[in-house]
Amino acid sequence: MELTDADLVARVLVDDDQHAFGELVRRHQSAVRGLLRQLTRTDIALADDLAQETFIRAYKNIRSFRGEARFSTWLYRIAYNCFREDARRRKEVVGVDEEQWQAEHDPQTVDPGLRHDLMHALSLLPLHERTAIVLCCQNGLSHDEASRVLDIPLGTVKTNVLRGREKLKRTLAAWGPN
Amino acid sequence: MNAMIDDETLDRQLREAAPYVDDEGFTARVMAKLPAAPREPQWLRAVILVGLALLGSGVAYLLSGGGRFVREGVIQLAGFPIWLLLVFAFGCGLVVGAFAVIVAIRKTPEVRDVARLRF
Repeated sequence: MELTDADLVARVLVDDDQHAFGELVRRHQSAVRGLLRQLTRTDIALADDLAQETFIRAYKNIRSFRGEARFSTWLYRIAYNCFREDARRRKEVVGVDEEQWQAEHDPQTVDPGLRHDLMHALSLLPLHERTAIVLCCQNGLSHDEASRVLDIPLGTVKTNVLRGREKLKRTLAAWGPN
Repeated sequence: MNAMIDDETLDRQLREAAPYVDDEGFTARVMAKLPAAPREPQWLRAVILVGLALLGSGVAYLLSGGGRFVREGVIQLAGFPIWLLLVFAFGCGLVVGAFAVIVAIRKTPEVRDVARLRF
């Protein structure tokens, strides 16, 4: 019988069982690292450093996980906070960087070799839309869960998902054969 | 221009396009950096338990008139038939054993999970 995330968390809490926490890391590392790679725009080294920080923080604060949300949702929230704090620490205000990055990466001038690449199209979206799309459309979070992860109103999440989807569709359609 | 795809198709393609990130030692690196679990010192627990036991024994001794009830109890037990003493000892052993098994199950995650299995 495979243990649930809740069982493993209980083992960590009751028995200080680090092997149980290791199993939680193994289960969720791909999703957390994937999310952070999208947030950092495929900067793999930075994404992995942030993912490591995410799991260490999760371990230190596991007593604050009350089981009201899924464990993965709780992890995504920590990961997103790690990403935002890192961006601030580097004095890279996310909004400013995003504008600069997008100015340099016009979807119409993308390398033809990357066309049809959905993940590349995703990386061209602004951060707030990209994050909402990755959480809701790729990782299957509900809008409500995503609003908790990102700490923004539910309506804003819905708007970001809607706009992100539309932009993705337009980009993919524009890249398609004439 | 391509026709625009619908939401459902786009979401499906997004899920399929997301690559699975191989562990490649990531979990081991995280585990190596985890802080040691904070534990209360074992000697402190032992001191508290032994201290409370001694205190309780002292209070019971004083309140029972110097342990008179123990002597009377032993004298009464000595008058019992041997088979009754054996049954009493066996019963005490069963109760203590049952408590030991319960504590062992609560302290051992592997056994606890097996006990939770539903057939």
